[in-house]
Amino acid sequence: MTDTAQTPEQDERVKEISSFRKALIRPELGGICGTVLVFLFFAIFAGNSGMFNSQGVLNWSTVSAQFMIIAVGACLLMIAGEFDLSVGSMIGFAGMMIAIFSVSLGWPVWIAIILAFLICMSIGALNGYIVIKTGLPSFIVTLAFLFILRGFTIFIPQQLENRTIIGGISDAAEGDWLAPLFGGQVGGWFFEFLGERGLIEVFERGTRAGEPVVDGIPMLIVWALVLVAFGHFLLTRTQFGNWIFAAGGDAEAARNSGVPVNAVKIKMFIMTAFCATVFATCQVMEFGSAAADRGILKEFEAIIAVVIGGALLTGGYGSVIGAALGALIFGVVQQGLFFTGVESSLFRVFLGVILLLAVILNTYIRRLITGER
Amino acid sequence: MKKTLIAATVAASAALTGMAAPALADGERYVLVSHAPDSDSWWNTIRNGIALAGDQMGVEVEYRNPPTGDLADMARIIEQAAASGPDGIITTLADFDVLSGPIRNAVDSGVDVIIINSGTPDQAREVGALMYVGQPEYDAGYAAGLRAAGDGVESFLCVNHYISSPSSSERCQGFADALGVELGSQMIDSGQDPAEIQNRVLAYLNANPDTDAILTLGPTSADPTIMALEQNGMAGEIYFGTFDLGENIVQGLRDGVIQWGIDQQPFLQAYLPVIVLTNYHRYGVLPGNNINSGPGFVTADGLEMVERFAGEYR
Amino acid sequence: MTSEHAPIIEMRNIEKHFGSVIALAGVSVDVFPGECHCLLGDNGAGKSTFIKTMSGVHKPTAGEIMFEGKPMHFADPRDAISAGIATVHQHLAMIPLMSVSRNFFMGNEPVKKVGPLKLFDHDYANNVTMEEMRKMGINLRGPDQAVGTLSGGERQTVAIARAVHFGAKVLILDEPTSALGVRQTANVLATIDKVRKQGIAVVFITHNVRHALAVGDRFTVLNRGKTLGTAQRGQITPEELQDMMAGGQEMVALEGSLGGTV
Repeated sequence: MTDTAQTPEQDERVKEISSFRKALIRPELGGICGTVLVFLFFAIFAGNSGMFNSQGVLNWSTVSAQFMIIAVGACLLMIAGEFDLSVGSMIGFAGMMIAIFSVSLGWPVWIAIILAFLICMSIGALNGYIVIKTGLPSFIVTLAFLFILRGFTIFIPQQLENRTIIGGISDAAEGDWLAPLFGGQVGGWFFEFLGERGLIEVFERGTRAGEPVVDGIPMLIVWALVLVAFGHFLLTRTQFGNWIFAAGGDAEAARNSGVPVNAVKIKMFIMTAFCATVFATCQVMEFGSAAADRGILKEFEAIIAVVIGGALLTGGYGSVIGAALGALIFGVVQQGLFFTGVESSLFRVFLGVILLLAVILNTYIRRLITGER
Repeated sequence: MKKTLIAATVAASAALTGMAAPALADGERYVLVSHAPDSDSWWNTIRNGIALAGDQMGVEVEYRNPPTGDLADMARIIEQAAASGPDGIITTLADFDVLSGPIRNAVDSGVDVIIINSGTPDQAREVGALMYVGQPEYDAGYAAGLRAAGDGVESFLCVNHYISSPSSSERCQGFADALGVELGSQMIDSGQDPAEIQNRVLAYLNANPDTDAILTLGPTSADPTIMALEQNGMAGEIYFGTFDLGENIVQGLRDGVIQWGIDQQPFLQAYLPVIVLTNYHRYGVLPGNNINSGPGFVTADGLEMVERFAGEYR
Repeated sequence: MTSEHAPIIEMRNIEKHFGSVIALAGVSVDVFPGECHCLLGDNGAGKSTFIKTMSGVHKPTAGEIMFEGKPMHFADPRDAISAGIATVHQHLAMIPLMSVSRNFFMGNEPVKKVGPLKLFDHDYANNVTMEEMRKMGINLRGPDQAVGTLSGGERQTVAIARAVHFGAKVLILDEPTSALGVRQTANVLATIDKVRKQGIAVVFITHNVRHALAVGDRFTVLNRGKTLGTAQRGQITPEELQDMMAGGQEMVALEGSLGGTV
């Protein structure tokens, strides 16, 4: 019996897997396949519709970046085994807080932004605390906050201002040091250069005639890339990342092994709230107003992007890169269908089909990796 | 697995190409962008309006809207529409802060824009649009309020089903100003769900039995309000006016439940811009001013035509 | 076996009452380093209660626990774990969706500091995992192979190797072979043998006499909350053990009708 120890034999039923196939089979595979398919599809059917000129690219990149920002939070939280359905309401609420602090109360915009972040992250922590303490499914607890936050987002401005849209934030943000971090643009000189060389389109008329139609990369996109990089790094390269997987894979087993599961989950709720607030701040700074109906249904869009990206709804498995690709697919499909000229009410049909295909493919890949049956 | 995927993609692409190739005549392409969520049935008239104009003029028309009614999404749709290089964009201006940037960019990159429905003529000029086609909301509310004041109304309930749109509130504000009363809590946020609207109206009337009149802002709030009044027996008793028309509103006018409907004639808001833009692009002719598509008061008299086309073209 | 050195853990007259139920009525067991002590007993004999007392989950109602010669009072399982008493449960503290190496270091991640960041040292984790698994006779496809792809026996082995790697002095195995096939059982028993040879005290709970006899040095039989004595290897036959577990005469009759196969 002891002899088997020195020369462990390979189980003949486990096939040797080529290194190529091994490199291919990763959680992101579904997202990568989907991205390639979607771009091929639109290259064929919307190739010369303006979808791939500078304005078009900026358009679907911006929409995808929006999805990415909230998908990163939703992805990490889902891997940690929880949901947050209050993301959409949180976006509306955070934007409204900034508007009220800066416009209604007249405080400096940077204070308004920091306060909004503090309030929203505290609400995220409260979400997590209630889930941990009561043991209720996060689905229910955050559903409650979906209503609570949306309610306040309508009630507070109505009480203070008798309206549900508060504008004038652009004027308030004039000269503020923090606002450009969310509403500004980077790389303007590069696009000016491209415009001068005739490499991208320029405005034909108006006060900005001759300027390039795309005059910089919105901070929204920068935030999306930074958050994706941060989330991916956190999840795969750090000790905390291992705890996120463990907390979502089997909270009891993780606790038995000494993982601070509760702290991990609460931190991920805070992270989700942070992402929602980044989304809201970018939106408010770009458009200069906050409205009570901002962000409706965004929580589902985030969850859909995460699921397209290969994460397991029940937690313990997934990838931030995958979620980012899911967001890209979502954004490209949503805007791309407009470019192809398809009747817009069919958007949901396509979304449903893509979601279904992605989940089937992802389940298949996941079974290959994890040996689930 | 792979085969299924490929098959599905092929099927999807086949479906797409089938739909993506509308008939082109002279090649002009116009995109109409609205702020209405999918659930708002009133915009069906708008869709029929551009479709008819498109057929008559032989141009390609598209209708776009943010599925949830989120105006930030609408801004992206305008940006998208501009990037796809149409000859013209017809859009509502539901929130100047959010939409003015994308619209101005579209204008500057060579797309002609007409503002319809919401917004004001001043705002339309400011973003560089060719013209404004619609009904000034505050003025329409004010006109309705004067009419109601003449009929002896002193207090009212405004059922606002789209409270996040400033133009909805302006209608109520205009009405209140014409009556010379504070708007205050007389405007309720009813939400979009018919059962909820019905119950909120019932609850308000229960709590405030002295209410003289009801103002609803469209079929979304008017239809459930009619049901509520039939349920509590106030139908025909209470003074009831509404913005916009629809099948049930027309029936209410006929039955005497509703005193008047304010018709902003959405059909014209969709139809005229397509005609105007096409003629502008083909022959360079352009009307010299904005076009007021409303307000027009529709009462029980002369309902026949309205009834025949309610929900379709009226 | 080696009676010249002291037992690492000694349980003296342990009693445990749950309300009016007496789960343990004075059980004494000692375990020496490098010994595999088998704890046998039928379902409901008190095995689980006994090992939970040993691993700090329950506090004994009466009796004392001597660990390395000193009396010990464990406040919770964490105390017991840090003292060096590791338990591998039937339901493993393993997450099937995660890789072997992530599982191996779950809660004890090797950390590489880069500036203020605490990075998971994947290279170290992967090397250690592969090495420890090789020592236990399991050839992994790679350290990133998911635990879900391993067989039940292999998972037990990973859990045992993990406990040993993190310094267990006493390893409690709660029915590790109860749900396994013949081949896998043999692998787990081989693992137990290796662990014992490293000088770790193993407490092996089972109700299978043949598994116990394959690796056990001493055997303690629990029946209705009491010990029926401890026997040395070679002093007892399988039949005698079986009899003690089942509690006598009925089993003899039953066994006769089954042709002595149980």
